[in-house]
Amino acid sequence: MPLLELHRVTKRFGGIVAVDNVSLEIDEGDAIGIVGPNGSGKTTLYNLISGVYFPDNGRIIFDGKDITFLPAHERTPLGLARTFQIPRPFGSASVRENVAIGAMFGRAKLDVESALDIADHYLSIVGIEKLAEKEAKLLTPLEKRFMELARALAMKPKLLLLDEVMAGMNPADVDRIIEVIRRVKDEERIAVVSMVEHLMHAITRFAERVVVMHQGKKLVEGKTLDVLNDPRVVEIYLGKRVV
Amino acid sequence: MKIRSYKPLLPLFLIYALLILIAVAVPGMWQPVAFFMFYVALGQAFNIFMGLTGYVDFGYVAFLGLGAYGMAIAIKYFSSLGLISILLGILLAVVMSILLSLAVGAVALRLRGAYFAIATIGVNEGFRYLIEGVRLWGGSEGIVLSGLMRRTFGRETANLLSTFFSDILIIAIAILAAMTTIWILNRKMGYALLALREDEDAARVMGINVTKYKIMAFITSASFAGLIGAVAWTLKLTYVFPEDVFNIHYTVEAIVIVMLGGAGTLLGPVVGGLIYGVLKYYLSVVFPGIQLLILAPMLILTIIAFPEGIVGFIKKKGKKSRISYYLR
Repeated sequence: MPLLELHRVTKRFGGIVAVDNVSLEIDEGDAIGIVGPNGSGKTTLYNLISGVYFPDNGRIIFDGKDITFLPAHERTPLGLARTFQIPRPFGSASVRENVAIGAMFGRAKLDVESALDIADHYLSIVGIEKLAEKEAKLLTPLEKRFMELARALAMKPKLLLLDEVMAGMNPADVDRIIEVIRRVKDEERIAVVSMVEHLMHAITRFAERVVVMHQGKKLVEGKTLDVLNDPRVVEIYLGKRVV
Repeated sequence: MKIRSYKPLLPLFLIYALLILIAVAVPGMWQPVAFFMFYVALGQAFNIFMGLTGYVDFGYVAFLGLGAYGMAIAIKYFSSLGLISILLGILLAVVMSILLSLAVGAVALRLRGAYFAIATIGVNEGFRYLIEGVRLWGGSEGIVLSGLMRRTFGRETANLLSTFFSDILIIAIAILAAMTTIWILNRKMGYALLALREDEDAARVMGINVTKYKIMAFITSASFAGLIGAVAWTLKLTYVFPEDVFNIHYTVEAIVIVMLGGAGTLLGPVVGGLIYGVLKYYLSVVFPGIQLLILAPMLILTIIAFPEGIVGFIKKKGKKSRISYYLR
């Protein structure tokens, strides 16, 4: 049984079909990359999975349970976690508290004391343990992204949805993040979906399977290298060969 | 539960102890201190909702007003029970505020930010016109209890109730509000409220049932408001008039106190309430008639100097020092 199943999911905003009849299966421990140009429906897909929006058509099944119309806060304890493209820290709280909030209300459901204790562990996994006491709003955009990853991991998810988590990072940071994601994926059998607009080289090193979105539809799905060499994918990124 | 997380109660109780000492030891200070304590308690009650959730309820005074009526109704109709009617009044005040907060919360807490604030303005005015319009609970003539209280409790007990006992109860409410606040801050609820105050959508995605926690804070805050109204108005003044108790003026004062001291902090509303109460009291003694003209610019300057409130400011400055153990 797959961990997450999307059955012909559609979401419209007025006349625009943001996600058009998309079906997708994700298994436990999968590493999947979702790529696609700006406006291809990636973020809407995430919002449908995490419960920010409900679909107009189709079903979403998570861990055997129909979650199509389940409110966001009831999905999270089942084992969903996500980061945001533009990080959304709880600004006036410390970095440690931010991560602890993840541990308190995610699948881990820890009490306050244990959550604050374990937060440091996740901060050191992503390598920002020195920032624990800092007010989250004072972090750089990059540090915020590391913090969001730690917060998502602290939730002990079965499925982790990463939204452009590596954008803007230097190669050393990208290496570290990929290393972290690989490790949690293997150790805790977390399925990781990573959404990427550019940074193709990062996706080739991390994802086993890639889904390409284009104009709300699933254009191609398959093994990473096959997909990225598919002429249709090359075309939506680079345009048609003219000579 | 670590003892350390309750340390911030220490400076707060020191302030209370000092105030009580002044009230008892300095002749003529009992009534001024009671006046300050009203604002301290009001600030703390309002802080549990506004400070912790970030929502501004412009109809907040309706809970105090309803509490005042709860006490008045209990004394008026159950005075045959003797002093038990006071207990009944406290109970009725809390129950009535809770019922109103559930009704208002179920509708208005679906709205966010300014929309919530606008929606709640109507609650207070609505109640006043309802009572006056349908002549509920005595209509605009209110409920006057002084004669009844003297007859049923005896002159001395009635006097004691309004000049001493009501003040003691306000202090007790302030202490209870402080303990409730830190209890909330130290629990999951405190972190849930912190998260939703900062970013409600992100909080939902983190697994926080934001509606549940908002309503919990709203009900808690409203019950304290009901208690304050019952004790500081009905019991102390021995009368209730709708235009007095459903007066938006008190909501504005509560907002000022919370902002002045530091929204969402434990000590903030105490400091804010004290500053506001002391200034208001002594300015009207020294500059009768123009006290508000002096008070307003002072408050504006304080808010400009300390946008996060006085306690919020000290908390930020003292982050690395040992003061931080005692501030929340």
